[in-house]
Amino acid sequence: MLLLIQYTLIFASVLLLVALGGCFSEHSGVINIGLEGIMVFGALGGALMMKYLPADAPAAVIILLSIGAAMLVGIIYSLLLAVAAINFKADQTLVGTAMNLLGVAAATVFVKAINTAENPNNVSSTIQYINAKKAFLVNIGGFEFNWFMALAVALLLLSWVLLYKTRFGLRLQACGEHPQAADSVGINVYKMRYAGVMLSGLLGGVGGLVYITAGVSEWKFENGVAGFGFLALAVMIFGQWKPFRIALAALLFGLFRALSNVYTGFDFLASLNLPSTVYNMLPYIISLIVLALTSQKSAAPKAEGIPYDKGSR
Amino acid sequence: MEKKRASLLRNPGVQTLLSSLLCILLGLVIGYIALLIINPAGAWGAITAIVKNFWNYGRTNLQLRYLGNTLVKTAPLLMCSLSVLFAYKVGLFNIGAAGQYVAGAGAALYFALALKMPWWVCMIAAILAGAVLGCISGALKSFCNVNEVISCIMLNWIALYTVNSLLNPVKNPTSPYTMGLTSVNPEAVMPSLGIEKLFTNNRYTTLAIPLAIVIAVLIWVLLSKTKLGYELKATGLNKHAAKYAGMREKTNIILTMAIAGGLAGLGAAMMYLTGFEEWSVTQSSVPAMGFNGIAAAFLGGLHPIGAIFSSFFIQHITNGGGYVDMTMYSSDISDFISSMIIYLCGFVLFFRQFMSSRLARRDEARKGGKQ
Amino acid sequence: MENPYAIEMLNITKRFPGIVANDNITLQLRKGEIHALLGENGAGKSTLMSVLFGLYQPEEGVIKKDGKEVSIKNPNDATALGIGMVHQHFKLVECFTVLDNIILGMEPTKNGFLQKAEARKKIVALSERYGLHVDPDARIEDVTVGMQQRTEILKMLYRDNEILIFDEPTAVLTPQEIDELMQIMRNLAAEGKSILFISHKLAEIMAVADRCTVLRKGKYIGTVDTKDTTVEALSAMMVGRDVKFHVDKEDKTPGDVILKIENMTVASRMHHNNAVKNVSLEVRAGEIVCIAGIDGNGQTEFVYGLAGLEPLVSGKITLCGKDITKASIRSRSVSGISHIPEDRHKHGLVLDYTLEDNIVLQRYFEPEFTKAGFLRRKNIRSYAEKLIDQYDVRSGQGPVTVARSMSGGNQQKAIVAREIDRDPQLLIAVQPTRGLDVGAIEYIHRQIVAQRDAGKAVLLVSLEMDEVMDVSDRILVMYEGEIVGELDPRTATAEEMGLYMAGAKRKEQ
Repeated sequence: MLLLIQYTLIFASVLLLVALGGCFSEHSGVINIGLEGIMVFGALGGALMMKYLPADAPAAVIILLSIGAAMLVGIIYSLLLAVAAINFKADQTLVGTAMNLLGVAAATVFVKAINTAENPNNVSSTIQYINAKKAFLVNIGGFEFNWFMALAVALLLLSWVLLYKTRFGLRLQACGEHPQAADSVGINVYKMRYAGVMLSGLLGGVGGLVYITAGVSEWKFENGVAGFGFLALAVMIFGQWKPFRIALAALLFGLFRALSNVYTGFDFLASLNLPSTVYNMLPYIISLIVLALTSQKSAAPKAEGIPYDKGSR
Repeated sequence: MEKKRASLLRNPGVQTLLSSLLCILLGLVIGYIALLIINPAGAWGAITAIVKNFWNYGRTNLQLRYLGNTLVKTAPLLMCSLSVLFAYKVGLFNIGAAGQYVAGAGAALYFALALKMPWWVCMIAAILAGAVLGCISGALKSFCNVNEVISCIMLNWIALYTVNSLLNPVKNPTSPYTMGLTSVNPEAVMPSLGIEKLFTNNRYTTLAIPLAIVIAVLIWVLLSKTKLGYELKATGLNKHAAKYAGMREKTNIILTMAIAGGLAGLGAAMMYLTGFEEWSVTQSSVPAMGFNGIAAAFLGGLHPIGAIFSSFFIQHITNGGGYVDMTMYSSDISDFISSMIIYLCGFVLFFRQFMSSRLARRDEARKGGKQ
Repeated sequence: MENPYAIEMLNITKRFPGIVANDNITLQLRKGEIHALLGENGAGKSTLMSVLFGLYQPEEGVIKKDGKEVSIKNPNDATALGIGMVHQHFKLVECFTVLDNIILGMEPTKNGFLQKAEARKKIVALSERYGLHVDPDARIEDVTVGMQQRTEILKMLYRDNEILIFDEPTAVLTPQEIDELMQIMRNLAAEGKSILFISHKLAEIMAVADRCTVLRKGKYIGTVDTKDTTVEALSAMMVGRDVKFHVDKEDKTPGDVILKIENMTVASRMHHNNAVKNVSLEVRAGEIVCIAGIDGNGQTEFVYGLAGLEPLVSGKITLCGKDITKASIRSRSVSGISHIPEDRHKHGLVLDYTLEDNIVLQRYFEPEFTKAGFLRRKNIRSYAEKLIDQYDVRSGQGPVTVARSMSGGNQQKAIVAREIDRDPQLLIAVQPTRGLDVGAIEYIHRQIVAQRDAGKAVLLVSLEMDEVMDVSDRILVMYEGEIVGELDPRTATAEEMGLYMAGAKRKEQ
C-alpha cells in the first residue's frame, strides 16, 4: 500500500509538472506536442549535473543545481519550438513531433559520445547518477519521500498564482484566447508566446528529471520517456487547462500508472485478472471520452495552434 | 536562358523540391557538425558512411542484399507517409499513423500467429484494423468536434497497449518478442514472387516493395484523377466552398481518416508479414515508423511520388547509421540527422515564400530598370 | 482663443492601386459633440478610420489634435493621443470577466500582482458616472451583446480616452439596447467626451448626432447640422445617384411562380435573435426581384437558408411547385438553383484549384465529367475552354491558371459563367458586382438581364443603390431581417428607398 502511494505520488509529480508546462504553452496559444522531447532534454541536463558534481557535495547543492540544469536545458530546447512556431509560423504539430524524435536521438548520441569518450568499450546510453540521486530521497518510516514531490506542489501553487494573480498571467491567457484583442491593447503577442513556450520548457525539463530519478534502476536515454509527455497532454486536457484540476488529474492518472506496476500486490485487483496494460490504457481512454463529451464547448484556449500574424487584424 | 531558369524556379513543384533538398543538406550539415564535436577525427568518414549506406560494401551482390534491407523497411515507411499526406491533402493532420500502424501490426500478427491465416487475410485484417482506428478519429472530429491531433495521440497509446495484450499469448516463451513467422505459419509470409533473386536472395524482399510503389501511384491517381480525390481535396482546401458545392464534409472527413488508417495498417502488414522484425509485447513506446511517415510525407513535398523518394532516403539514412565507426560514434547519429531533417521541414513553407518573394522583388527591380 | 476641435483630419487623400479610397476628405470633430460619419458601403469610412489609427499613411493631408499637427504611425500612437474605438466586431476575450477585459494591457499592479480591487473601484465609479451598467465579475461569454459593448466603452474610459469612435455600434443591438446606447452617448458627450459615430442608419443619426459628415464613393460631400436637415436630405446626400451607366432592358411580363418562400425564419450565428424573421416572397419566371438593404440586415442568412447552407427555424420553400425546405444543398442545386455567392473567396471558389476545376465545381459529378469515378479531364478542359471563351474570362494560363492568381473581376466572371451556364430555373446572385470595376459590372449586369429575358427567375441581393435601381424589376427592402417594403424601380425614388433601408419608413402589411 505504501509502495502504491509512493509510486502514485512520484508519477503524479512528473505528470503534474509536465502538464503544467503544456498548460502555459497552450494558454499562450502554442500547442506543445514536443513535451516528450523537452522531458528528455531536461533529464539530460539534470543527469549530467548530477554526474559531474563532486560526490561529497551537500544534498541541497545537488538538488538545486541539478534542478536548475534541467530547467535551463529544457528552456533552451523549447526554443526550437518557439522559433519555428512563433517566428516562422511552422506547423506546430510537425515541429512538436520532430522535437520528440530529435530529443531521444540527440540525447542518445550525446550520452553515448560521453560514455565512449570515457571508455571506448562503453556504448551504453546511461548516465551514472545513482549516488547523487540519493540526495533527493528521504526515508520516512518505509516511505521513500522524494523532494520532487514537494517541488511539484510548490510549482503548482506558483503556477496558479502566476496564471491567475499576476499581470503576466492575464496577458498570457489573452494571447492564447484572442491575440488580436491583446495586440489592440498594446500587448506584444510574440513575446508572451515566447514566455509561454519557455515556461513549458522549464516545467517539462524538471518533469523529465523527476521521471528519470523516479525509477529504481538507471535509465537509458534511448528509451525516451515512454509516452509520459503525451500522457501529460492527456492530464492537461482532463484538467481542462486549469492548474488545480490538472493536479487532480495527475493524481488520478498517476494512480493508474502506479497500479499497472504494483496491482498484483492487491488481492481484489489481482483477482480481477486484468493485464497491466489496462491500467496503462485507462488514462488515454478516459481523456478521449472527456474530449468527446466536452469538445463542442471546449475549455481549450481558442487561438491555440494558430500562428499569430500581426498583419491580419 | 535567364528567363527560362526564372520560370523554372517559379514552378511550385521545383520550389518544393529545392526546399526539400535544402532541408536534407542542412540536416546533413548539422549532423556533420555534431560528429565534428564528438570526434573531429572520423567525422567525414562517418557522414560519408551514412550517406553511402549499402555502397559501403565493395561487392555488387552484397550491395544489392543490403539495398534490399533498406527497401524492406522503405515499403512500410512509404505507406505511413502516404497515410499522412493523404489526410493532409484533406486538411487533417494524421499524427495517428503511428497508432494505426500499431493496430495493423497487431491484427496482422494475431491473424498470422494465433489464427494461422494466410498472408493475404492477415494483410486485409491489418488494413481494416488501421481503418477502424482512423475512422474513430474521423468520427470524433465530425460529430464531437474533437481535434484529430489530440484524439490520434490518445489512440496511438490505446492501440499500443491493446496490441501488447493481444499479442501476449503468441509471444515467444523465452523472450518478449512474438514467435517467428516462418516457423509458426510460413503461409503468412508475404510471397516473394522471385523478387528476392534481384537482391541476392534477401528473403525479406517480398511483394511488399512493388506493392508499396503501386499503391503510391494509386494514391496519386486517386487524388489527381478521380471524382473522390477532387471532392476530398476541395474539402481540404476550402471546406466552405466544398459545402457550397454540395459535398458532404463530415462523411468526407471520416472516409479520409479511414483510408489514411488503412494505408498505415497496410504498412504494418508489409513490415511484420515479411518476418523481418518481431513485435515486442513489452515495448513501452509507440514505434517511430508512423512519426517518420510524417517526415517522409513533408520531405516528399506532400506528393505521393515524392514520398517514394523521401521514404527511401529517410530509410537509407537511418540504415546508414549502422556503418559509422562504432568506436567513435553511435548509430543513433542517423536518427539524429533524420529527425533534424523533419524539424527543418517545418520551415519548408518559409523557404518557399522566401523564394517567391525574392523572385517578385527581382521582377520589380527589373521593371524599375526598364522604365 | 482655444481651439474648438478635439481632432481634425484635413484634406486627407489615400490612394490604393486603381482606386482613390479617400479623396480630399476633411473631418473636424468638436470637443463634446456627437459627430456622425455617414456613407454607404465602400464610401471610404473605414479607410478614413484606418488613417486615424495609423494603419494607413495618407498621401496627402494632416491630422491635428487640439490644433497641433500630430503624426500617427501606428495604433499605439493613436491610443497615446487619447483616441479609442469600439470596433464593430468586439475585441474582447470571451472567457475573461468584464473587469479583466477592461484592465487588460493597463493592469494596476503591486510587485507584479494584480490589484483588482483598485481597478474595480475605478470601474464602478466610471460605470455610475456614465450610466454604463455592467457586472464586473460576469464572463463576457455569458453576458448580452449590449453589456459587451458597454465593456468596450468602459475600456476606453478606463484609459481616459477623450475621443471615442463607435464603428456601426447599433448593428448588433436590439432596439431597447440601441435606445440605451444613445443615452450613454449623450451622457458621454455631456461629460466632455468627443464622439465620432459611424453609421448608415439615418434615424439614429438624426436622433443622437449634433453634426453629420457625409462621404460618397471616397469623396467628401459635406457636413451638416442635424437640426438644420431632414432624413430625406441626408439620404439624398448619402446615395447621390449619379448614374454612371445604364442597363438597357425591355419590359417583360413575368410568367409562372418559380420560387415561393413562406414565413422563412433563420437563426443568426452572431447573436441569439433570429436574423431572418418570417419572410415570405415569390419570384416569377422572367423577372428580377431585388432584395435591397444595408449590410447586416439578414440578407446573408436569408440566402444561406434559401441555398441550404443554414437550416431554417421555420417556414417553407417551394421551387417550381416542389417542396425543397428540407432538401440538401446538392439536391437544391440539381433541381435548378444557381447561386452566385456573396463571398467569392469563401464560398465561390477553391482558390488553390485551377480555373477549369473551379468551373466544374457544381457539375463535376455529372456523367459528362465523371465516368466510373474518374474525372473526364478532356471534357472538363473543353467545357472550361468553351466557358472561358464565351464569357471572356481572362487569365494567365487559361484553364490551368490557379484561381488565386486571377483578378477579382475575372474570378467573379468565372463564377457567373459557371452558375449561369447550368441553365437554372432560379438564379440567386448575391452582390455579384462587389469590388469590381465598371467594365466587369456592366458585363455581369447584362448577363443577369439576359437570364431574365430567357425566362429565368432571378433573385438579386444587393447593397448598391445603382444596381438595385437599374437591374431589378421589383424591389423588396430588407430591414432587420424583415421585408419592410416593396417598390417599383420605375416609380420609386432613391430617397424613398433610402428611408426604407434606414428603417425610417415601413409599409404596413
